[in-house]
Amino acid sequence: MDWILDYYNWRVVAQYVPEFTRGMTATMWISLLSLIFSLVIGTVTAIMRISSNPILWRLAAGYVQAIRSTPLLIQIYVIYFSLPALPILDRRLDELEGGILALGLNAGAYMSEIIRAGIESISKGQVEGAQSVGMTYLQRMRYVVLPQAVANVLPPLLGQTAVLIKDSSLVSFIGVFELFGAGLTVLSERLMPNEAFLTVAFLYLVIYAIMLLFSNYAQRRLGGARA
Amino acid sequence: MIDVMKLTMPFLVEGLWMTFKISLITIFCGSALGFVVGMLRTVGGWAVSSTLGIYIHTLRGTPFLIHLYVIYFILPETGISWLQLEAFPAAVIALSLYTSTYVAEIVRSAVEAVPNGQGEAARSAGMTAWQSMRHVILPQALKMMIPPMGGIYVIIIKGTSIVSVIGIAELVRAGEHATQRHPRELMLIYGMTALMYFVYCYPVLRLARWAETRFGSLRLPS
Repeated sequence: MDWILDYYNWRVVAQYVPEFTRGMTATMWISLLSLIFSLVIGTVTAIMRISSNPILWRLAAGYVQAIRSTPLLIQIYVIYFSLPALPILDRRLDELEGGILALGLNAGAYMSEIIRAGIESISKGQVEGAQSVGMTYLQRMRYVVLPQAVANVLPPLLGQTAVLIKDSSLVSFIGVFELFGAGLTVLSERLMPNEAFLTVAFLYLVIYAIMLLFSNYAQRRLGGARA
Repeated sequence: MIDVMKLTMPFLVEGLWMTFKISLITIFCGSALGFVVGMLRTVGGWAVSSTLGIYIHTLRGTPFLIHLYVIYFILPETGISWLQLEAFPAAVIALSLYTSTYVAEIVRSAVEAVPNGQGEAARSAGMTAWQSMRHVILPQALKMMIPPMGGIYVIIIKGTSIVSVIGIAELVRAGEHATQRHPRELMLIYGMTALMYFVYCYPVLRLARWAETRFGSLRLPS
């Protein structure tokens, strides 16, 4: 079995288990925080996008187009390198905050398109029904439209979340330590690309597989609920 | 500010040209590969279909950055001479493989979206399976593949930004160089870079949306 060590020295990988664990945890945290942020932005943008107020929907449409037509990497650079000191914080964003902000803003645009499709998939009768029992706009959104829309959009949202997790690898470029960064550490300390990146690839696949299982489960559950 | 714009513009345009070249080569190679994978996955037997399923899931489940590093840093480690790739072919191959997974899913969805009756009618009119695919199903499926391809092209253009890490002088790289020369104009230079991507991608997205109204939208598996 020793020939394997020439290609993949698992003894070295074993030495770096703490780094990989730390990287994996960081990736999960970064993804989770960006996900929450992107869902908030996505929901607000989707509601703005379907409003009849031209200023609101143009603003939302412009944001979505701008994000969709530029690469995430440049968005990260713009936010991290060029955002001046924020008056509220009284300092510049550090790399982790900048990374999460950029990831969240990026995913938010895609999330908003998914959420908008979900909202538009709700039939008009539902809204009219809610209107006729005297619900206000916010109540209609909160109790009638959004709950149904969420069920419709959960599968694509989970798909987009998988993309978000993969995209989070790009924040390693601005010096955030996460799973890919753990691979870079092994590469720079040991000059062993196989051990570094095959391990990282495998760990990303593990996360992806869990997401896939979760997505299938959600689809089954939602399908069952509707049938 | 105007001076910096004038000074950096030629470099950025050069970078955009590189981005353009890579994305154009990739859309052809990636679509061709994706078409083959998608068709094999649709018409092939269980074994072929699930093997290709693993190929697609493996590439979809890992970040593109990893593919790039595997092809550029790990393949040369094997010592096989034709796997010692230069940066440019490595970038194009990595991007094409990545693109092929998306295209394969589009091809499969489009072929499956053609109503069964079409193929059945073709077969009962005496066509072979190949003829029915070639003359009846594919022409209809190809039309449905057009709109999502615009989205794929934009994914490729944005993907090219990542190949800057292996030293290809494309748009992001050109922007980085410019910021080293004019470190006080970071925002301006990255803004200009973003704008150039926008100028390239936005028309493609508009075209895709027009195609959607023209050819109908295809429901893709998420």
